Amino acid sequence: MREMAFLGFALVLLGFWAMLTRKNILRIIIGFTIIDSGIHLIIVNLGYLPGRTAPILEKGMRVGDLSKHFVDPIPSALVLTAIVIGLAVTALMLVYAVRIYERKRTLNIDKYRELKW
Amino acid sequence: MAKYFVIIILLILLFLIFWNLQKNTAPRNRLDLLSSRYIDQGPREVGSANLVTAVVVAYRGFDTLGEVIVLFLAATGVGFLMQKRQKAYPKSNPASEILRTGSDVLLPVIILTGTYIFLHGHLTPGGGFQGGVVIASGFLLQFLARPESRIKVRKLHFIESISGFFYVLSGLAGLILAGGFLDSRFLPLGKWGELISAGAIPLIYSFIGLKVGSELVGILNNLKGD
Amino acid sequence: MVEPIYLFIILPVAAFLMGSLHQHLNRWQVFIFFTVLLFSFYLPIPWLIHLLKGGSTAQVFTAGFLPPISINLQIGIEEAFLMTIINLLGIMGAFYLLHHFRGTVYGPILYLVFIMGLNGIIMTRDLFNLFVFMEITSISLYSLITLSGSSENLTAGFKYIIASGIASILFLIGTIYLYYLTGTLNIDVMIASGYKIVGPAGSIALIMLLSAIIVELKQFPVNGWALDIYTASDPGIAAIIAGGSSSAMFFAAYKLLPLWSPSLSSIIAGIGIMTYVLMNLMGLKQVKANRLLGYSSIAQIGLLVGLSALLLHSTPVTGLTTIWIILGGLLINHLLAKAGLFWISGLIKGESLSSWSVLRKYPSLLFIFACLLMALAGLPPFPGFWVKWNIAMQLAQHKQFLWLGFIMLGTLLEAVYFFRWFGLIMKSELTTGIRVRISSLLPIFTGTFLMFFISLTMMNLLSGFNFNMLLPILIATLIFALKLIPGKLKALMTIFIIMFYFYFLLPELSGLYRLFAIIFFPLSALFMIAAMNKPGYRNGYFELLILIVLSLGNLLTSHTSLQFFYSWEVITVATYLIILRGVKRFDTALLYLVFSLAGALMILAGFSYSYAVTGSTFLGILGSSNSQITIYILLVGGFLIKTGAVGVHIWLPGAYAETEDDFSPIISAILSKTGILGLLLVLLLMGKSFAANTELNTILGWIGVLTAFLGALFAIFQEDLKYMLAYSSMGQVGYIVLALALYSHLGWTAALYLAFNHIFFKGILFLAAAGIIQRLGTRKMYEMGGLINRMPLSFLAVLISIIALSGVPPLSGFGSKWLLYNALLEKEWYLQAALAFFASTVAFLYCFRLIHSIFLGQEKTRFRQVKEASLWFLIPQYVLIALIMLISLFPNIIIEPIAQVMADFIPATLSWEGNTLMSSLGYWNGNVIMIITMGVFMIPLIGLLLRVRSMQKVKQFNIVYAAERPDKPETTHVAHNFFPHYQKALGFLVTPLVSKFWAAVSEWCHTIAGVLRNIYTGNGQTYALHIVFMVVLIYILAGV
Repeated sequence: MREMAFLGFALVLLGFWAMLTRKNILRIIIGFTIIDSGIHLIIVNLGYLPGRTAPILEKGMRVGDLSKHFVDPIPSALVLTAIVIGLAVTALMLVYAVRIYERKRTLNIDKYRELKW
Repeated sequence: MAKYFVIIILLILLFLIFWNLQKNTAPRNRLDLLSSRYIDQGPREVGSANLVTAVVVAYRGFDTLGEVIVLFLAATGVGFLMQKRQKAYPKSNPASEILRTGSDVLLPVIILTGTYIFLHGHLTPGGGFQGGVVIASGFLLQFLARPESRIKVRKLHFIESISGFFYVLSGLAGLILAGGFLDSRFLPLGKWGELISAGAIPLIYSFIGLKVGSELVGILNNLKGD
Repeated sequence: MVEPIYLFIILPVAAFLMGSLHQHLNRWQVFIFFTVLLFSFYLPIPWLIHLLKGGSTAQVFTAGFLPPISINLQIGIEEAFLMTIINLLGIMGAFYLLHHFRGTVYGPILYLVFIMGLNGIIMTRDLFNLFVFMEITSISLYSLITLSGSSENLTAGFKYIIASGIASILFLIGTIYLYYLTGTLNIDVMIASGYKIVGPAGSIALIMLLSAIIVELKQFPVNGWALDIYTASDPGIAAIIAGGSSSAMFFAAYKLLPLWSPSLSSIIAGIGIMTYVLMNLMGLKQVKANRLLGYSSIAQIGLLVGLSALLLHSTPVTGLTTIWIILGGLLINHLLAKAGLFWISGLIKGESLSSWSVLRKYPSLLFIFACLLMALAGLPPFPGFWVKWNIAMQLAQHKQFLWLGFIMLGTLLEAVYFFRWFGLIMKSELTTGIRVRISSLLPIFTGTFLMFFISLTMMNLLSGFNFNMLLPILIATLIFALKLIPGKLKALMTIFIIMFYFYFLLPELSGLYRLFAIIFFPLSALFMIAAMNKPGYRNGYFELLILIVLSLGNLLTSHTSLQFFYSWEVITVATYLIILRGVKRFDTALLYLVFSLAGALMILAGFSYSYAVTGSTFLGILGSSNSQITIYILLVGGFLIKTGAVGVHIWLPGAYAETEDDFSPIISAILSKTGILGLLLVLLLMGKSFAANTELNTILGWIGVLTAFLGALFAIFQEDLKYMLAYSSMGQVGYIVLALALYSHLGWTAALYLAFNHIFFKGILFLAAAGIIQRLGTRKMYEMGGLINRMPLSFLAVLISIIALSGVPPLSGFGSKWLLYNALLEKEWYLQAALAFFASTVAFLYCFRLIHSIFLGQEKTRFRQVKEASLWFLIPQYVLIALIMLISLFPNIIIEPIAQVMADFIPATLSWEGNTLMSSLGYWNGNVIMIITMGVFMIPLIGLLLRVRSMQKVKQFNIVYAAERPDKPETTHVAHNFFPHYQKALGFLVTPLVSKFWAAVSEWCHTIAGVLRNIYTGNGQTYALHIVFMVVLIYILAGV
C-alpha cells in the first residue's frame, strides 16, 4: 500500500501541471482539487499499516490489544478536516470564477493582469 | 515554450523531492504511543465504537469546531459574494420526467440515509459531515430536477444557526459539566454499542450534520442563482 | 480572568446567530458586533497584567484531556500581548469599516470569525489546529477582500486563493510527515522529539512546512499576490491584513522556530532580510500609494522574520528580555503605523502618491501622517527608533555584522521612498479629493496616540525614562499647539526659551561641552533675531528651531551613546523638516535627509560595534584595542557626512542655499558644528593611545584639506550668492576637519578657534545676503551691483566678514590661519599646509567677487530705489562684527579658554606673554597687528574715497557703457562668469564627478528595482510558479 503515496504525489504533480499551465480558471480550480485529492490520498496512506482494518470496534473484538489490529485513526480524522477545508476553498474559488466571469467576460487568467509590479 | 520548459523542470525537481520524501520514510509496523492510546483507551473513555469519530469529536474536537466554522465561512462567503451579482442567467431547460420523478422518490430516502449516517457516527463509518453531505446531495438532485423551485432560505439559515448555536452550547456544557470545552462526556457514556451511548457524541454529530447539510444546501442554492 | 477558551465560544455563537437572526436584530446587530469585539479585546488584558506581574504561562485544555492527547491552547506573555494589540486593532478596524458593513450581515460575521481565527493562530499549540485556524483566517479574508466588489478585488483575491491554496497543500504535506515521524501533532512535543525529525524525510517535511509559512508571511519572492491584495482591497481590509493577519502569521512562525534545523534557520534569516532589502528597493519605483504601503508592509514583516530567526534560534529566550522587546516593539510599531497609513489612504480618493497632497489642507492629518512615516522609518520619538537602536546593538552582540549592514541598507531605502513621498505631498500641487468621516478618523488618531504611549514604555524598558530626552519635543509640541501666536512673538519666545534653557544647562557642563553650548545656544539665539523680520505665523518654523537647539543641548549632556544618537536623529529630522518648509522643490531636503540618515546609520553601526566589544553604551569609552579601526572609520565617516566633506557633500549646497534666508545662517554656521563636535568626541573617546597615533588621522586630514580646497573652488564659479556662501561654508569646515585631524594641542585650539570665527563671519555673510535678497528679490550676483550707496551698512558688514574669512590681518581670520599653519608645520604636514594655503588664496577670489559684484560697479536701474537691509538683519550682523573686533583685538579672550580646555586632553604647547600668543614657531599679538594694518589700509582708503566721485574713462570694449544692447544683458555683465580664466585652468577640478557618481548610484538602484519587480507579472500562475520555485530552491539550499 505504500505505493499509494506515489499515486498521491502523482496526482499532486498532475494538479500542479494543470494549475501552472492551463489558462482557464475553471481548469485551474480543477487542478487544485486534483492536488487536494492527492494530498488526501497521501495522508490516509500514511495512517495505513499492512494487514490491519479500520479503527471501528465491532461486537466480539477484545478490548486490550486493539492497537495491534487497527490502522492509525489520526490521519483519518485529519483527512476529514482537510476534505472539508478543501471543499470550502473550492466553493469559494468557484464563486470567484462566477463573479470574475460576470465582470470580465473571460475565464482566461492571463487577462487578469491589471495589477502588477 | 520556455515557460513550459521551466515548469516541466520545476515539476520534475518537485517530483524528486517527493520521491526523496516518501522513499526515506521508514514503513511502520506498529502504532505510535498516541494513536495506540486512542485505540486502547478510546472505547472506554469516550464510549465510541468508531475510533475515528472518537478522535474527531472528542480528542480533537477543537479541530472539528474549526472545521465547522470553515464550512460556515464558506457558506457565508458564498452568500457574501453572490449577493452582489449583477445579472441572472437565462433559464435552463426543464428537467426530464425521469429526473423529476426519481428525485421526488429519492429525496426522502436520501435525507433518511443522511440522518442515519450522522446519528450512527459513533458506531459505524460516517458522522456529521458525511451525513450532512448526503442530505445536501438530495437537495442537489432536487435543484437539478426543478431548477425553478425555491427553498425557504430563512428556514435554512435558521436551522444552520440554531444547530451551530447548540453545537457550541454542547461544547460549553462540556466545559461546565465535564472536563473541558467540547468534552463529550457531560452525558452518561451509556452502554457501549448502542445508539444512545458515547456521551454527547450522537448529539454533537446531529448538530454538525444539520449544520453541514443546511450550509451545503445554502451554498448550492446560492450557486444555482435565481 | 476569563478563560481564553470563551473566545472560541462567544465569537462563533455570535457569528452563527447573526447569520439567521439579523432581520430580528436590526440595530442590535451593531451593538452585538462591537460588544463581542470589545470582549475579545478585554479578554487578554487581565492575563497580560497577570503575566507581567510574574504570573506563569497558562495552558487551556480542550475536550477534557491533557495534551498531547487533545489540543491545547497557551496564553503566555507573548500571546497575551499580541492578542491585546490585534484585538484592539480589530475594534479600531471594525470602527473604520463600519460604514462598509451597512446593509450586509455577512461582512460583520466574516470579520468576527477572522478575528477569532487570528486569536486561534496565536494561542494554539497544535500543528494541525494551527492549519485549521490559518484556513479560517484565509477563508474569511477571501470573502472580505471583495468588500468593495470591484473587478480588481476579484482578480487579486483569486490570486490570493491560488497562492494560499498551494501554501495549505505544502503545509499539509509537511504536517502529516512530521506526524508520521514524531507520532504527535502537538508543537511542544514535536519540538521535544526533534531528534526523530531526521534524514531526508525529516528535512523535506520541514521544508514543506517552512515553505507554506513563508508564503503565508508574504516573503520574497512568493508575494506577488500579496502586493495585489494590498493594492486592490479596501484600505480598511488592507489595514487588518497588514496589521492583524501578518502579525498573527509571524507569531505562528515564531512558535515553530525551534523546530527548524540550523541550516533552515539561516535560510529563514536570509529570506527575511532579503525580503526587507529587496521590497524596499523595489518600493523606490512605486507610484501607487497603497501598493507602496504593501511593499513596505511586506518588508517590515520580512525584517521581523529575519530578526527572529537570527536572534532567537541560537539563544532560547524566556521572559521579558531585550530581544523580545525588539520583536514586540517592531511588531506593534508596524501594526499601528501601517494600519494608520492604510486608514488614511481610505480617506484619499486618488491612488497616486501625489494625490495625497490634499493632506496639506488638514494639518492634523498631515501631522499624523508624518508621525506614522517617521515611526516606520525608525526615527525618534517613535517605537521604531528604540527598535532600530536595539536591533543594531543585539545584532552586533551576536556578531551578525553582515546582516546588520543589509538591514541598514533596507532602512535607508525605506526612508528614501517614504520621505520622497512626504516631500511630494508637501510640494506638489494641491489636489482635492478626500472624504473625512469621524468613524475613520477616530482609529487613526487613537493609533497614533497609542504609538507615543508605547514609545514611552519602550524607552522606559530599554534605556530608562529620561525626561530631558522628551523635553525638546514637549516644548515644541506645546508651542505648536499655540497656533495663532504671531510669528514675531514666537521668535521672541523662541529666543527666550533657548536662553532660558542655556541658563539651566550651562552649570551642568564643563570644558569642551561648555564651549559648544555657547556655540549652540547664545549664538543661534542671536541669529534668530533675523526672524523678527518676517511677517506671518510661520507655523512650524520656530517649533522646529526649538527642537533643534534644545536637542543640541541634549547632545552635549548625553552620557550614553543611545542618548547621543537619539538627540542626533531628532536634530536630523527637525532640520529636514525645516529645510523642506523653505525649499521650492523637495529633492533638496530629501538629499539632506538621505545623506544625514546614511551618516546616522554609520554612527549607529559604530556605536553598536563598540557595544559589541565593550558591552556598554557608556560614552566614556568607545571600543577596545582590537576594534578601534572599524569604530573609528564608521564614526568618523558618519560625522564627516554631517560636515559635508568632499565626496559626500552633494547634499550641502542645496540645503544651505535653498532653505529660508534666515535659516541659512543657522544651518551653515551653527549646525555644521555638530559634525565637528562628533569628530572631536570620537578622537577624544577612542582612547589617546590609538587616536593620537593612527594613520587614519592623516587620511582625515587630507579629506579636510581637500574639502577646503574644493569647497573654495566650487564657490568661485557660482553665480548664485547663497550657493557661493554654501560652498564657502563647506570649505571652511574642511579647514576645521584638517585642524582636528592633527591631534595636537595647537591643532585643536586652531580647530575651535576656526569654528568660532567661521560662525561669526559666515553668520554675517548669510545674514547680509538675506537682507540683500529680501530687498532685491534675486540671488544672482550679476544682477546686483553698485549697492554700496544703497546698503552701506550691509557693505561694511560684508567687508569686515570677508577680511575675517580670508585670513588677512588684522582680523580674527588671520589668527585662525596663523594657528592652523603653525599646527600644520609643527606636525610637518607640509603638503597639506601648501594646499590649505592655496585654498585660502582661492577663497580670496570669491571674497573679492562678493564685494565687487554686489556692492561695487554701476547701480542697476531697477535697484535704484532699494533701501538698506532690514534692521532685524543688521542687528545680529553688527553684534557679530563687534565680536570679531573683540577677538581680533584681544585674541586671548577666546583662545585662552579654548587652549585651556584642550589642555585637559593634550599637553599645551601655547603660551601667553600679555596679549602675545607664543607657539613653538612664532608669536602673534592681535593688538599690534591691528594697529599696523589699520594704519597701512587707512591711507589708500582715504585716497579712494576722495577719487570715487570723479570722472571715469571708459575703455573701448567695455560694453556696459556702450550703446549696444545685447539680447541677454546680464550675461555680458562683467560679474557674470567672473573667473573664466580660472575656469580654464582649474575647471576640470569642479566637474561634478561626485554628483554624477551619486546620481548614478540612484539611477542604478532604480534600474535594478525596475528589473527586479518584473517578476510580479500580475499573473496568478506566475505567482504559483514562484512558490514551486521557492520550494525547490530551499530544498537545494538546505542541502538535503
